[in-house]
Amino acid sequence: MKNNVKESAKFFAHYLKHFKVALFFILVLTILATWLQVKAPVYMGRSITELSKYLMTYLNPVTKSQASLSDFHQALLLFGLFTLMILISLFLNGLLQAIVAPKSVNDMRTGLFAKLQRMTIRYFDNHQDGEILSRFTSDLDNIFNAMNNALFQILQQVVMFIGVIWMMFNESPKMAMATMATTPLVIIVGIVIMIQAKKYVDIQQAEVGHLNGYINEQINGEKVIITNGLQEDSINGFVEHNEKVRRAMVRSQAWSGVLNPIMQGLGLFNLAIVIFFGAKLALTGDVASRAAGLGLIVTFVSFSQQYFQPISQITSLYNMMQQAMTGVHRLNVIFDQDEEDKHEDGAQFDGVKNNIKLQDVHFGYNEEREIIHGIDIDVEKGEMVALVGPTGSGKTTVMNLLNRFYDVTSGAVLFDDVDVRDMNIKSLRDNVGIVLQESVLFTGTVRDNIVFGKTDATDEEVIDAAKQANIHDFIMTLENGYETEVSDENSVFSTGQKQLLSIARTILTQPDLLILDEATSNVDTVTEEKIQRAMDNVIAGRTSFVIAHRLKTILNADKIVVLKDGRIIEQGNHETLLAQNGFYAELYKNQMVFD
Amino acid sequence: MKLLKPFIGRYKLDLTVAILMVAIASVAMLLQPTLLSNIVQAITDDNMEKVNKIGAQLLVLAVIGLAAGILNTIFAARASQGISADVRESAYRKIQTFSFSNIEKFSVGNLVVRLTNDVTQIQNVLMLVLQPLMRMPILFIGGFILAVRSIPQLWWIIILMVILVGGISYFVVKNLGKRFGKIQWLMDKVNAKAKENLQGMRVVKSFNQEANEEERFTNVSNELRDVNIQIGYFFAMIMPAFMFVGQGLMVVAIYTVGNMVNTQPELLAQITGFTNYIMIIMNAIIVGGMMMSFATRAFVSMGRIQSIMDTKPTFTYDNENEQDLDGRVEFDDVSFTYQDDDQPTLKHITFKTEPGEMIGIVGATGSGKSTLAQLIPRIYDPSAGTVKVGGVDLKHVNEHSLRETVSFVLQKATLFSGTIADNLRQGMETAQLPDMKRAANIAQAAEFVEQYDDQYEHAVEERSANFSGGQKQRLSIARGVIGQPKILILDDSTSALDARSEKLVKQALDEELSDTTTFIIAEKVSSVINADNILVLDNGEMVAYGPHSELMQTSPVYQEIYATQKAKEAKNNEE
Repeated sequence: MKNNVKESAKFFAHYLKHFKVALFFILVLTILATWLQVKAPVYMGRSITELSKYLMTYLNPVTKSQASLSDFHQALLLFGLFTLMILISLFLNGLLQAIVAPKSVNDMRTGLFAKLQRMTIRYFDNHQDGEILSRFTSDLDNIFNAMNNALFQILQQVVMFIGVIWMMFNESPKMAMATMATTPLVIIVGIVIMIQAKKYVDIQQAEVGHLNGYINEQINGEKVIITNGLQEDSINGFVEHNEKVRRAMVRSQAWSGVLNPIMQGLGLFNLAIVIFFGAKLALTGDVASRAAGLGLIVTFVSFSQQYFQPISQITSLYNMMQQAMTGVHRLNVIFDQDEEDKHEDGAQFDGVKNNIKLQDVHFGYNEEREIIHGIDIDVEKGEMVALVGPTGSGKTTVMNLLNRFYDVTSGAVLFDDVDVRDMNIKSLRDNVGIVLQESVLFTGTVRDNIVFGKTDATDEEVIDAAKQANIHDFIMTLENGYETEVSDENSVFSTGQKQLLSIARTILTQPDLLILDEATSNVDTVTEEKIQRAMDNVIAGRTSFVIAHRLKTILNADKIVVLKDGRIIEQGNHETLLAQNGFYAELYKNQMVFD
Repeated sequence: MKLLKPFIGRYKLDLTVAILMVAIASVAMLLQPTLLSNIVQAITDDNMEKVNKIGAQLLVLAVIGLAAGILNTIFAARASQGISADVRESAYRKIQTFSFSNIEKFSVGNLVVRLTNDVTQIQNVLMLVLQPLMRMPILFIGGFILAVRSIPQLWWIIILMVILVGGISYFVVKNLGKRFGKIQWLMDKVNAKAKENLQGMRVVKSFNQEANEEERFTNVSNELRDVNIQIGYFFAMIMPAFMFVGQGLMVVAIYTVGNMVNTQPELLAQITGFTNYIMIIMNAIIVGGMMMSFATRAFVSMGRIQSIMDTKPTFTYDNENEQDLDGRVEFDDVSFTYQDDDQPTLKHITFKTEPGEMIGIVGATGSGKSTLAQLIPRIYDPSAGTVKVGGVDLKHVNEHSLRETVSFVLQKATLFSGTIADNLRQGMETAQLPDMKRAANIAQAAEFVEQYDDQYEHAVEERSANFSGGQKQRLSIARGVIGQPKILILDDSTSALDARSEKLVKQALDEELSDTTTFIIAEKVSSVINADNILVLDNGEMVAYGPHSELMQTSPVYQEIYATQKAKEAKNNEE
């Protein structure tokens, strides 16, 4: 908890440092507005006093002629002016405050995104997208809410609190003490309630999570439920979870909800104490004159209300701050992650001159489990290598090592005898093109998606790439052609066409080395053929590694590397491997090469 | 409101107490200024007896307000949670009566959102209604009455204030609503951008596009920032505007009283009370307006749940008599078109199987294999023609009898969190350990299940994350065979199994379920080569039906599939 506060303070200090000037003026305006707000009622009171003076003068036949409303009007005018100044200072303060939360949260959001761009693939492979995305949604949201609603509220209440205490002690230290006597109790009560509320809110969150998980799982598995006639069981399970959620919700809402009435009740209770104590003080004649003592009580009645407001306000913001602190912690977890070393002063790579070698490569995604146990592959410039083997044999892993999504544990990946780990990563990736098994579309136009890797491409280049990828004709059938808006979720492209588009994307960058993970997803025969031709186009004349699922690709390969359990068990071309009558031949017979 | 009606009755007591307590708490709040000005008056009058009396009243009021506030919170929580839990349950019950096409129409994700987010919206608003919102009319009317009673001549000030504050509130709600809508839209855009970036991280990195992606994201994010700032500016105006009305009218009220005090001196004593009530009325309108704008969101959510409740299942069952169905399956001129599709997926399919036969269904992806299979357990009804199981048209089948007879193992193995035994019992409610062992042996699952210390009581985690694809499929097959169905459909259910296991499963099925009619849908012809009959689908049409040897002679489509899949050598091997 203490660490959390410290961490959050540091975090906010970092993001608020651009707003030093604004924050200074906000502080000044807050103090001004608070002072005006405390003072304004005094002038209203004075105007009423003047009015009653006037009335007494007026009602007295002797002085009636001297009665004048001008003092009353003056006091009222002053009250009006004070009110106007309050409005202006509040308005100016509001304008200044309006910028702080949106801007600093925007800095956090874009900073978070930028950080993600610099992180290693390893992190994304080991964490679920949803888990990372919730930083953008719930955590930043909680922080924004807290900054927007709590930050200046707390500032204002603290100023008010200090101001009232100062004024109370100025008026009468004894009465001030009486007013503040119950404060520790109130704070303890407040914190106990908030802690209870937090406890039940946590239970509630967990139960809601279970219920949502249950609903998700059941409805996603609805076919199984229907075909096995499990509807009643499913409802029974739901009712059980639902009941738990209901109970947890009642408790958490009750605990968080009672804070407000309790604080109000305690406020009134405190007021009664002030009145009784003040009356006793006045009666025992401890104060200079009895009349002054009575006046003091009247003053402290309003002080007591003003004093209590910050306490109950700040306690009620506790939850919001708690959530923001959790959010800060979760953002920091990301900000503390390792970044990819781009190796900017590394050797520039501008294409394969002679060959690519994997030398005794060992690799594991984590230290405990090695999944590639020393493999050697030699590829000459311009050759096409097909990687085949059962699921989990390590095919995809080899690809991850070639463009340095991961680094070998031992051994080396050499491009023209230069270790990839010694290369400038940007130059490496500029020359290594990949086509993934699962194609991704980005929100934007079709053209945006093709020029993704080469934003300055000309229209001719784009069309040429699309033609080579066999997708130009289809794009032209779209009403807006290359300017058609697409996104990954809502797209006019089928799975197969998406793949063609991502091939076009790769062709456009003219990579020197190509890594291609053939899609296993089944597409219709026409598209299948288009993909085949597009693949041929992109592979032609390039050094390429293909994780192959298609028979024709394998047959065309200069070299077939058969992987099993992280080892190369056979290597050669189709004929020689078949003649060996080994694992490849077996795979081939059982058509498992297509796995 | 129609949605909540049936459930309100169950929580009458909670609702009544909650509302009663809100009323008491509000009245206590209204009495407070009067008591305060009375006590101040008593103090100035130096009337200690009166001070003590009113002080005691103030304490009683504090206790009553406190108790009413706490009770209101508790009962409001009980009522709002109770009602929303019931709404969620009834919606879920309704969904469980749906046919699969109903679920597809809504989409799974959409239904989940409705049951979770939408219900949460409703429940938040219920809580709001039972607490602050109920309080507002009482405070408004009470404040109005008390203000008019204290200085009747100033009635016009109150009316003027209601008009001004109401006007500003309307303006605010209208303008903010529009901007909040824009915020929501931009937030979705920001999240979508972040999501697709994460999904495409490998593409981003391999094309060296980190900086461009950052720029694109920052552009959207900046837009969001700007609208947020606009809203902030807006709020910077609102509070001063309300204060301007409130305080300004206070000045007007005091000024007016100053002009009338000559003739009506008693007004002077009332002015403090009057200004207090003006403030209470103003707060009531402002808070009420804000709450109303929250409440409108709940109406959207209620509509979305209501549309679940209003949906009729695409078909229902005659659940009167149990039927004794055997393993025959008959398709008579069956066509099927998916909702929203123009083209039929299946066209005029006719065939008939005898009990105990094994039928292979092959064809290219998209040829309609899975669709055909799903008509047998009546996941869908055909658009035309009839499907009969055990001689009974599925439109007149008893649901329970059909489930007993037909077992369907899905392409995508789906397990539910719980234990392995829980999942197996879904296929046979009364299954005992020997049944599970037998099923697991057929599905080649026993070899890994029985290695766990807790064997069949081993946990299945959410999304069955603790099993590999092959293990999931094997458990899913075990669930399919445990009830010894008369008809078993395996929809490409062995795709993640290695060749050896697949072969063993097939053998076990042959031996253990020899009386079962088995449909095997396969991508690979080699998987169904030994079937009694092979049904070849091409673009929704049945182009051939017969044993392998026959089809090799008669069906060009079959020959083509066979040829493309098995290269020449494999074919030689076969012969």
